[in-house]
Amino acid sequence: MSSFRKINEKLVTLGVRYVSGPKRKYPINPALADDLPVFQYKPSKKTHRVFCWGNAQTGALGIKGLLEKEATTLRFPKRLGFGEKFEVVTAAAGYGFTVFAIDSSTDVKLYGTGINSDSQLGLHEIRKDHPLEIIFYPQPISLPIRYPETTKILKLAAGRAHLLVLTDEGVFLLGNNAYGQCGRKIIPNEDYIKSNVINHLDKIDGKNIVDVECGQDHSLLLAEDGSVYTCGWGADGQTGLGHFKSTENFSKVEGDIQGEKIVQLACKSDFVLALNDKGEAFGWGNTEYGQISLPNNEQQLANPTCIDMVNKLGKITSVASGGSFCLVANDSGQVFSWGYGLLGLGPNADMSKKPLKIPETLFGRNDFQPDTRVIKVRCGLNYSAAVTNSGDLFVWGRNRDCCLGLGHEKDQYFPLKVAIGGFVQDVFCGLDHTVALCKPFI
Amino acid sequence: MLQLTLAVIKPHIIKNTVALRDIKQLILDSRFIIVKSLRKAVTVQEAETFYAEHRYKFFYGRLVGFMTSGQSDFYILAKENAIKDWRELMGPTKVYKAQFEAPLTIRGKYGLSDTRNATHGSDSPESAKREIGLFFPEFDYEAWLRENKTIK
Repeated sequence: MSSFRKINEKLVTLGVRYVSGPKRKYPINPALADDLPVFQYKPSKKTHRVFCWGNAQTGALGIKGLLEKEATTLRFPKRLGFGEKFEVVTAAAGYGFTVFAIDSSTDVKLYGTGINSDSQLGLHEIRKDHPLEIIFYPQPISLPIRYPETTKILKLAAGRAHLLVLTDEGVFLLGNNAYGQCGRKIIPNEDYIKSNVINHLDKIDGKNIVDVECGQDHSLLLAEDGSVYTCGWGADGQTGLGHFKSTENFSKVEGDIQGEKIVQLACKSDFVLALNDKGEAFGWGNTEYGQISLPNNEQQLANPTCIDMVNKLGKITSVASGGSFCLVANDSGQVFSWGYGLLGLGPNADMSKKPLKIPETLFGRNDFQPDTRVIKVRCGLNYSAAVTNSGDLFVWGRNRDCCLGLGHEKDQYFPLKVAIGGFVQDVFCGLDHTVALCKPFI
Repeated sequence: MLQLTLAVIKPHIIKNTVALRDIKQLILDSRFIIVKSLRKAVTVQEAETFYAEHRYKFFYGRLVGFMTSGQSDFYILAKENAIKDWRELMGPTKVYKAQFEAPLTIRGKYGLSDTRNATHGSDSPESAKREIGLFFPEFDYEAWLRENKTIK
């Protein structure tokens, strides 16, 4: 009897059960078997896929399971479950935090995850008087929106500890205001985590706001007529207002961009690049690493200046400004970089005061794909990213906490494609994490 | 010889609990002893006295502006050759260069930019005494060194 039991156990482990089909508690009635529905694993109907990677400890990735695994970094792009539950339209990555804007008809249109030390992700108070300083998966941020059913979030921008949300109703500013970067009065020793002030600007000088951008500690607004307004920290001239003081209220930037129609602003740290409708680039802020060569070795520039060396490169279509370097792409898809750091041109962190071209072949142009060209360039603080018209994402630079998503911890010296499961539409680079918004393959 | 040094953890690290925890652990792992610690928001007058030596440099304004933007942590660290060891652990001042030249130092790992460079350390015994006196007026630098010849 015991030997029979042993043989029976062996048979089960060898898979005899699989030959006769699955063991069912309630067997199917054969007469009805054909009418039963067959579940099909169809692809998700959401139009966007959200992928993220990088430092997992700050909670900025918004993946719950990583906490339980005690993972410190996520080396490869991982599809975010949050993006399957909600229709994510845009996102932003700051210093250890991420925000997602979703398509919704309620007043909850914004979700945030990560470091919340200055209530840049809103007030999350589970216990009274103990607001959460860190959030590990996306939580709703309620904004005082007047018409929740029709209003949409158009653009997000995140700085070191503040957040700008551009909606149809104007711009909302949350978080740290130590330099006036939220466009309101500086209150000495304000406890930002408890104060939870959301500043709202309907219009600027009677004009609609069409774009927002953040440096680490300053904010930039683009009005519909192409003029630029800034506030916040100006110690390096990054507000472009002609002085080196902090500014509490949004003020109009003059200098060389006066009268120009600016269409794009780029800033990640303390140097700002602005692009006008003719494809010419302007810059101001900290130029310690040769972003603009100034006479007398000056390293701070408080007045916007036309960058002639860039305007010789053809019509510029996309600009990006990192901590110590700049990137531009022109209308034929060529990418140029200058400044200091890993510029995508070899293993040495070099300084170049002139724009250097990164060969197109590194961005996937070859005999089989002759039409591939770079359409967007983006910067993290110390790394760069480029998106091509075929939906590929190329990254290079300093690989702090695996923010490049290439599967290893080493720095990347030249552009390399990221293995990502979708057509990349846009990429949002923080300090040590990255978020990509993709369209599905099918 | 036992030395004292003043370590300052700058405001942007205080906001990032993960980085702060790692830096504290790094200090203890390097066998420093934290004699006294203090968390406070620096006033403009204190910051100006603190950085008096850089008064006429172009980056003076942003140093003071950054230090007064929020709370900082002040530690009196003790160790044999504390000043040199702490400066080695911190790495080069310029973060954009430190991240390639010394990627494993505190500034290479946690610094954001040349201003937001995570930590400060005294550069000589004289400046250590001056800086400790500024933030810990009741702490007797000479007496502590007289009473403690070695670290147990």
